[in-house]
Amino acid sequence: MSSARFGPSLLIGLGACVLFLSGAYARAGDSELLGALGWWTANSNRVFPERATYPDATGVVTVIHLGGPVDTRGHPFFTALGHNGRACITCHQPADGMSVSAKSLEARWVQTHGKDPIFAAVDGSNCPSQPQELAASHSLLLTRGLFRIARPWPPRAPDGGTIAPQFTIEVMHDPTACNLDPVYGLGSAHPMVSVYRRPRLPANLKYVISYGFAFDPKSGLPLAIDPQTGRRYAGNLLADRRARTLEEQALDALRTHLQRHGPLDAVQMRQIIDFESHVYVAQSADRAGGSLTDGAQGGPDALAAGKAAVLDSPRDPQWAEFASWKHDSGPHETPAQRAFRASVIRGIDIFNNRTFLIADSAGLNSMNFGNPTRNTCSFCHNMTRTGMDVAPGQVDLGTTNEPFADPAPDLPLFKLTCDPKYPPQPFLGRVVYTHDPGLALTTGKCADIGRITIQDMRGLAARAPYFSNGSAGTLRDVVDFYDRRYHIGFSEQDKEDLVHLLSVL
Amino acid sequence: MSRQARSFAELASLAGLACWSCLAFAQPPASDAGRAFVGCPVYRDTNSGRKSGCWLATDPIDGVRYDISLGRTKPQIGHQVLVEGRLDAPDRPQQAGPACGGVVLRPVVVSVLETSCPAFMLPAETYPGRRFVLDPKLVLPPADVAERPPPPPYLPRTWSIEFGFGSDFLQYQYSEVILDEIGRYIRASRPRRVEVTGYAVARTRSISGERLAEKPQLARARAEMVALALRRLGATRRELHVTWRVNPAPLVDTPGLAEPSRRRVDVSLVY
Repeated sequence: MSSARFGPSLLIGLGACVLFLSGAYARAGDSELLGALGWWTANSNRVFPERATYPDATGVVTVIHLGGPVDTRGHPFFTALGHNGRACITCHQPADGMSVSAKSLEARWVQTHGKDPIFAAVDGSNCPSQPQELAASHSLLLTRGLFRIARPWPPRAPDGGTIAPQFTIEVMHDPTACNLDPVYGLGSAHPMVSVYRRPRLPANLKYVISYGFAFDPKSGLPLAIDPQTGRRYAGNLLADRRARTLEEQALDALRTHLQRHGPLDAVQMRQIIDFESHVYVAQSADRAGGSLTDGAQGGPDALAAGKAAVLDSPRDPQWAEFASWKHDSGPHETPAQRAFRASVIRGIDIFNNRTFLIADSAGLNSMNFGNPTRNTCSFCHNMTRTGMDVAPGQVDLGTTNEPFADPAPDLPLFKLTCDPKYPPQPFLGRVVYTHDPGLALTTGKCADIGRITIQDMRGLAARAPYFSNGSAGTLRDVVDFYDRRYHIGFSEQDKEDLVHLLSVL
Repeated sequence: MSRQARSFAELASLAGLACWSCLAFAQPPASDAGRAFVGCPVYRDTNSGRKSGCWLATDPIDGVRYDISLGRTKPQIGHQVLVEGRLDAPDRPQQAGPACGGVVLRPVVVSVLETSCPAFMLPAETYPGRRFVLDPKLVLPPADVAERPPPPPYLPRTWSIEFGFGSDFLQYQYSEVILDEIGRYIRASRPRRVEVTGYAVARTRSISGERLAEKPQLARARAEMVALALRRLGATRRELHVTWRVNPAPLVDTPGLAEPSRRRVDVSLVY
């Protein structure tokens, strides 16, 4: 590959590095410029660089591709394979940590007058039946970064058969109008439940598809085995675990988000999975704390080198990447850096050691831990280096279920009524009001209502808003939600320390 | 605990209430035959680190508040529990332990019942709770550790997996280590048959004024749950022979409690 092919991507990385070194990289104008250069469109024939850095809300996020730069000409991850002009890269922007932020979407709407394929009617609007030229029809994408996920109702098993659901579903309120739509709604010829979710990362995937132990303690059963590979399904793909493997995820995305009809050939599938399996994303520098890789082990390189599915323990404590920050690192460390790094260390201590009462969270308190149980953030966020769960991590934090969810009048609200023959949602009973039933849309089980897969926590500063339904606009909102939900009683200092920790991951 | 033993305990308790002064001269029992009661769990919010909270429940017959924290399944606040256990210190049957403020039952099996009761929490007050210590016998090897097959000879062998009352849920850690061991034997020895027999206690027991019986179909559900687990651990459909029955005898050589051992699945490898 000739050096000329590196083009703007390399410039972005170099630009960000230079700006970082000069201490001026975070100026708003620079960020906008770099952001505009950083947007990837389908079929752009650019080179995906081996390493690119991008400014974000608190510093710099770095995306690496192990094995060198990738010529994207004809590469299926970067090619519009369906009917709406999108490629995988459209909704997984490197500058946004391989997700896409609401801020970038808003800018893209203005820049393209809403014509970018990311705003495709199928899921980039609140409902395909809405007038697509109006920003209001894309309000959930523009304000919360949410794509429409249309799940078949009743749910389908992996073999294509129908699952008899344990609950009925009624639409109580739907400002998107999609769940009541005659073509796209629950009463249509092909009944669908439309929920709205943030895109997850096609990156850091060895952590997503690994499992710590052969059992899923939330179901009590050993993890099922993929007959193709002989490996067990890790159970951490997608918010509702509707895909068990990267292949299934890619096919689901191609069929729905890219509107491709028909299968993908084996070579293209292999290319997609090879590419995304070599991408790592993490924050690499902080505006106040400086480099996250100089002494500390932040950034994507250490993440790529790390071992997956390691359970948090005294021997392998969560966020040990930053342990060196416990001590000042000499005269080159400024007072501001020292103060920030000390705050991150306090945040880690809170994350790992501050106990609080975890209550009424299906998937967690429904195991034999009891309800409530006193534990810490790292109880659920227990996979070192990513903060995911070493077991299938579907837990009802309350982000989507009444009464714990924050008010969300812009989201649909469903009433789920459980058949008395089956166990109810363990803490919400037989009638549950929810914005997103989560895992229950895959399994059809009442006990799974509102259970959502715990996310990879790396590169957060680049990809607000947070939680599967974008209900937290900032990292502070995330911390505040947990504080309210579990009555933790964080002090202002605690909250600041936790936000600093989250911002360097 | 047998019905006869329970009746004896209830009679003794009533006799004690009727003759309070006798208690001052009563000799402490040398051992505890066990007790079973249905109660409403109370969470005492002690904090000695992760999982250090206390669970208490009062036996409505004798009025004693027991510390039931040492069961492998913890209660769900707001739901009644069936408690089956023995006194940890039978020579001090009324003495609350220092950790949680209840008379300690050990061993103890706690089953969460569907019936609701008031949710109630106590502050820690002066109680420290118990620092959580993971039993190394309950730790599974990580998935990436190379498996060590059990050495031959492979002789016929039976394992038992117990369940909570009314439940077919395979309990975290406890069931996992048993199933993991069975799976390793199956993969290493390829038995001629893997016999899975599920049991439920459909006979009605009267406990604390409540009449408790498991649904007979739970025997099948338990057996099928274990069979599914074993298939995922390498047993073939041809090897598996799944049956179910109700009202079995308790295990005779169990280190735990007799009555809960009736709620089980037996897995036998036949060569």
